[in-house]
Amino acid sequence: MIIIGEKINGSIPKTGAAIAAKDEEYIRMLARTQTEAGADYIDCCASVNEGELEVEEWLIGLIMEESDLPICIDSPDPQVCVDAMKFCGDRVGLINSVSGEGNKMDIVFPVIADTKWGCVALLSDDSGIPPTAEGRIAVFEKIMAKATEYGITPDRLYIDPLVETLGANSESLITFNECVKYIKEKYPTIHITSGLSNISFGLPVRKMINMPFLVLAMNAGMDSAIMDPTNRDMNGVLHGTLALLGEDDFCLDYIEAYRDNLFGPINRD
Amino acid sequence: MALLDDLREKTMKGKRKETGPLVQQALDEGMDPQEILDAMIDAMGIIGDRFTKGECFVPEMLVAARAMNAGTEILKPALAAGGTEPLGHAVIGTVAGDMHDIGKNLVRMLIEGKGVEVDDLGVDVAPEKFVEYVGAHPECKVVCLSALLTTTMPSIDATIKALADAGLRDNVKIMIGGAPVTQEFAEEVGADAYTPDAGSAAAKIVEFF
Repeated sequence: MIIIGEKINGSIPKTGAAIAAKDEEYIRMLARTQTEAGADYIDCCASVNEGELEVEEWLIGLIMEESDLPICIDSPDPQVCVDAMKFCGDRVGLINSVSGEGNKMDIVFPVIADTKWGCVALLSDDSGIPPTAEGRIAVFEKIMAKATEYGITPDRLYIDPLVETLGANSESLITFNECVKYIKEKYPTIHITSGLSNISFGLPVRKMINMPFLVLAMNAGMDSAIMDPTNRDMNGVLHGTLALLGEDDFCLDYIEAYRDNLFGPINRD
Repeated sequence: MALLDDLREKTMKGKRKETGPLVQQALDEGMDPQEILDAMIDAMGIIGDRFTKGECFVPEMLVAARAMNAGTEILKPALAAGGTEPLGHAVIGTVAGDMHDIGKNLVRMLIEGKGVEVDDLGVDVAPEKFVEYVGAHPECKVVCLSALLTTTMPSIDATIKALADAGLRDNVKIMIGGAPVTQEFAEEVGADAYTPDAGSAAAKIVEFF
């Protein structure tokens, strides 16, 4: 399971405030705690209206000093994503993201073609998120065709089939999983990821939706998530699910994560 | 003894692909087979203690025992050649009507870790089987009985009575355990010892040799 730590994102109010106040220590703390919690990538999204690239440079610099993890450069502007790659030195990371929308792929794919960088690809296009699995799979095929053209192999792609808010669409997970199964069967080495918390938007006790979503999507073949790795409930469910899916011999990873105090009671005596 | 420290560490961590080669290396360097065995027995003892204290978990015991087995496979010929005697002999089984074997297997592994040679009769073992075994193996000094259900606890009683009826009760010590079993029950059925978990069973059994 590849965990992309989501906390350094200016659209999260506390992080946004820290970015506005140039609060280095807060950003460093987010990088550190997500690293300790077992993240594989640190997502970095400035989410500012002006000077986005400068803010990305500042954030990435802090992350690089605080953590050995690769960066997942996150911006709605693909040009900012590729321009920020140079701040990552020789650390190969991810671009977050392209989609079937506009010329995003045309900007990102040529730049990462001859590198080892990976890329998150959302299954939406100029008309938004296709409501059906068929519609999203059509976007996926378009993305794959383009990736193939640039020699970007499936294992470098992190497909996010996108979740709609369950409160507004009761078939949200069903559609998501249909996409997951189709894509994984066709390209076993491809990664499937999800910024999964959107599924529970507008509902009370959101973790009661987020946690079973994680389980069901992992069971369908999702092998990555953009989430808060320091969330103890999600961590426990994540490790428990990996064990149940036969991906953890003798539950030793589960036990290790427990011992590393990533889930379970905080005070143990 | 860096090599034996390494072996101890790898056994505790359940690295079964590494324990065999380490044992072989130790033998190649001319170390005493008993000393090599003791390193692994130490490791299992530490794991057993941690388990008793709730600091380690069932799968960790299983992989540690598996790693030790991988080591002892390599060590056996050398031990036999050196004439090293086991600490003693015991027999273990889950009683009639009961199919649970995880706890029984853990006890067996930790007892083996103490250097005891153990025959495992498996699960759902009828009283007559224990009688037959003890009759045929005068070297066997301890009988370990496991029951995981309140409904199969009476089979412990029946097994002890069957041994008594066959005139074999005084030849052996009887240890019992399993989730519903208590010290009180042990006294009631005339067992020699009750232990609440695998680690304490292994610590107890050595007193009987």
